[in-house]
Amino acid sequence: MIDAGEVSAFRDLHTRLGDAVEGAVRGKRDVVDLVLVAMFAGGHVLLEDVPGTGKTTLARAVAGALGGVSRRVQFTPDLLPSDVTGTSVYDPQTGQIRFRPGPVFANIVLADEINRAAAKTQSALLEVMEERTVTIDGVGHAVPDPFLVVATQNPIDLDGTYRLPEAQLDRFMLRTSIGYPSVEDELDVLRPGSGAGRIADVHTVSSPREISAFSGRLSLLHVADPILQYISGLGTGTRSDERLRLGSSTRGLRTLVRCAQVYAASKGRHFVVPQDVQDIADPVLAHRLVLTRESVLAGVTTSEVLADVLSRVPVPKPSAQ
Amino acid sequence: MKRWTERRGAGNGGGRVNSPLLKHGWVAALLLVASLQLAQAWDGATPYFGLAALAGFAALPLRKLVPSGLAALAVMVVAMTGGFFAARGASPDRDPTWVLLDTVPRLLTAARPAPATPELLVPGLLLIIGVSTGAVLSVSKRGTALFVPALGAATLYVSAALLTTGRADKYGLVALTLVVLLALGWLIIDRRGPVVPPAVPATALAALTLVAFVLPANGFEPRKLVTPPVTDIAVSNPLPQLAAWAAQGEAELFRMRGPEVPVRLVTLSRYTGASWEAASTYGPLGVVDPPDLPAGGKSQDASVDLRITGLQGEWLPGVGKPRAVSLSNAMVDPDTGSLVVADGLRTGLSYTVRGVLETPADSDLAEARVPADATKYTALPRLPFTLADYARQATQNARTPYEKAVALEQVVRLNRRPDAEAPVGSSYARLETFLFGAPGESGAGAGTAEQFASAYAVLARAVGLPTRVVVGFQPVPEENGERIVRAADATAWPEVYFSGWGWVAFDPVSGNGSGPSAASKREVLNRLASTTAKPTPTSLPSVPPLVQPTAVQGDEVAAPPADSVFPFWVFTPLLVLVALCAARTSRRLRLRAAGPVGAWNEVLDALQLAGMRPNPSRTVPDVGREWGEAGARLAVMVDQAAFAPRPVPAQDSWRLARQVEKAVRGKASWWRRVLWAVDPRPLFRR
Repeated sequence: MIDAGEVSAFRDLHTRLGDAVEGAVRGKRDVVDLVLVAMFAGGHVLLEDVPGTGKTTLARAVAGALGGVSRRVQFTPDLLPSDVTGTSVYDPQTGQIRFRPGPVFANIVLADEINRAAAKTQSALLEVMEERTVTIDGVGHAVPDPFLVVATQNPIDLDGTYRLPEAQLDRFMLRTSIGYPSVEDELDVLRPGSGAGRIADVHTVSSPREISAFSGRLSLLHVADPILQYISGLGTGTRSDERLRLGSSTRGLRTLVRCAQVYAASKGRHFVVPQDVQDIADPVLAHRLVLTRESVLAGVTTSEVLADVLSRVPVPKPSAQ
Repeated sequence: MKRWTERRGAGNGGGRVNSPLLKHGWVAALLLVASLQLAQAWDGATPYFGLAALAGFAALPLRKLVPSGLAALAVMVVAMTGGFFAARGASPDRDPTWVLLDTVPRLLTAARPAPATPELLVPGLLLIIGVSTGAVLSVSKRGTALFVPALGAATLYVSAALLTTGRADKYGLVALTLVVLLALGWLIIDRRGPVVPPAVPATALAALTLVAFVLPANGFEPRKLVTPPVTDIAVSNPLPQLAAWAAQGEAELFRMRGPEVPVRLVTLSRYTGASWEAASTYGPLGVVDPPDLPAGGKSQDASVDLRITGLQGEWLPGVGKPRAVSLSNAMVDPDTGSLVVADGLRTGLSYTVRGVLETPADSDLAEARVPADATKYTALPRLPFTLADYARQATQNARTPYEKAVALEQVVRLNRRPDAEAPVGSSYARLETFLFGAPGESGAGAGTAEQFASAYAVLARAVGLPTRVVVGFQPVPEENGERIVRAADATAWPEVYFSGWGWVAFDPVSGNGSGPSAASKREVLNRLASTTAKPTPTSLPSVPPLVQPTAVQGDEVAAPPADSVFPFWVFTPLLVLVALCAARTSRRLRLRAAGPVGAWNEVLDALQLAGMRPNPSRTVPDVGREWGEAGARLAVMVDQAAFAPRPVPAQDSWRLARQVEKAVRGKASWWRRVLWAVDPRPLFRR
């Protein structure tokens, strides 16, 4: 069981990281927090947005604040799996075959425009995300810890994109979008001499080791049974919704529990409350739901459906334990 | 406070206590109150009904073995089998399939209150056992718990109201008790699970309550649905037979065991001017209609065993106003209580009569009035002036009806002698001879009890006293445990009706009798004598003209004391308000003891009262935030108390809740604020 003191230390760290990242990404604290949640929960983030909203900056700023290695892969239609994972090459000096690690061997990997690559390359990345090892010529090479993939995806109606299949979307812990900044924040960004977007200015406030330590501990955070019942109720709600072809999987709900734990800790609490679940339900679950064909034609989005489910399922009534 | 929280165990949203002992205690109390109320429709059924109310608990051990429905069925089968054998004993000649069904019409045509005989108890007992079983089983499982007890209690209450024509609970106190108990049930019973919408039981209860109050008050009477067998019997008037009995002397008529009370044979209430007549329509004992004049305020029961040894005719000797006779073919005139057996008496007939004797004290009668509307008992068709004037003169100094009655008794008795040989008859002419006849004339100043009683009754009627004549037997001393009633004991006496005190016997033959004490009569007579000299019958004109009895009126309109009771039911709404307020306060105290979660429920109560009930999918902080800092702080405490692994006790949660409540109340409309303290909605499940 994790206690209040530990949670308070985590909150400090979380705040420090958030403040550091916000120096480069203005006015998007909520998105920053979500990315941090995914990192501590051991998951990956899919940022879905039009180009130029700061996706790359966000990923690099997080890497900078964390003090880890960050790499970036720009996905293109001709990108090969080995361009992502790395490959074995002959070293003429030693006369041996040597593994040359690809860009995934970093704490933060920014997979830019993941939906522009061919399915083969996409799945190579997704495999690493899940397994956290790269196997080349029968030898497994572990990626560093913490390992966070921040993939960005252009809205699918743009030209030259391969849509990520549902099974692979499920591998992302969170999906969110950054969106355009508010007028004040945009002015701040536009002002000549603004520090926005300058990754070099991001202070390193933590270390990968610290992140890993917390990440393991946070999974012990208390979740009361009524909360689990509530989460289960949400899952049932999505599965019984007529507008959805596919509701949330059990893995999705499990991820929701995990994220709720980290989210609660980030709010300084050593227990999860229903509000935590409601706050992160959309980024965690929305991309896992599959609409029926009719709903797609009707212009319904999974976020809308999920909001309906949330407003339908009663929260657990507070009762003395 | 901590202990409170722990003891409540698996408390749910409403924080209800779910102890089986408390639950079963509650349902037992509810069933007992409702059953004892129903027991009032019987005479002496309380212990049986009290036991039956608890019969449902017999289904509890069964329920561990078989499903609830089967357990209920088993209890009911046992109960109905017992009921069948109990009822079959009473009607062995009936078709067995109809025995149980037959008990209901039997009950409806029985005396009221019904005697506690097995076959009459059966329908009530079966109803109670059924209700009890349903109620006990329904509270032992979760779900529709309150509906069945509420419906059952209402059924028993309505049944009691119908059987007693609403007299069992005149002021609605039992109804109020039941409502309060049911309201307590809302607090005690854990109603999780599939719940009937509160509107359904509420509507059912309201309808039943309306039935219970409106129907008896409107004169609805379930007994009217069952036609009591009424028989027209032309039976002879036994008055002339008094002379014959007097002549027979020592001939034994019947023997009786029991207290020394006068035995009544027949009561004659109609006078035609030529003779007295008995009622001619008879029904089974306990027929629908109460007597035309209400019974008196003081009475005692008497029960005698009789064995006919020589008496003949259809009239059945009895005591007082009969309430039960062990003969199934005996019928009664509801107004007078005269008993007949249509096929006549036979020697050796044995039976038991239980009756009510009216026993007003002398002091009660002194100021008692007589009803003005009892014209049936003051009717004197074509009354001769002599008799009217004689009666007027005899009572001219009497102030009250009682003094008139005593004065007449004295006037009839004085200077007249009982004579078994005197001519029979009770016509005006025979009475004039009896009262005013010249010495030497046959029957002048001499007569049997027939003439004494008739003369008294006619004179009393002439001054407006409702009077009737009873033929019966005077009390005889006990010999070897038995009282042997002989022909010479036959007599007749008049009875006068006093408002609130019933029929009172007078004895113009000897002046003693079973009515008011001799001392009381002497006191009255002394007072009258000191006022003036006695009237002299010789001053009467010899050839009287005839007068109509229309000039004769009752004394005054008088109300019996039992009717002038304050209508306590006007307090019922007030009591309901008090009960609601108490229930709300009790909930509040429990919530206050329940820490932050209780405080939050208090806030939710307030929101509900203000008509701002939040959607159940909204979280606590989401709702709390709307009500300022206090709400937000309370929400944090509530979440912690509800979801944290080891909640830290929060001290000022109740204060914060009160702040929020105040804010909520300020936003409510005025009429919601008026009803704030008594609105029952928070008592129901959210």
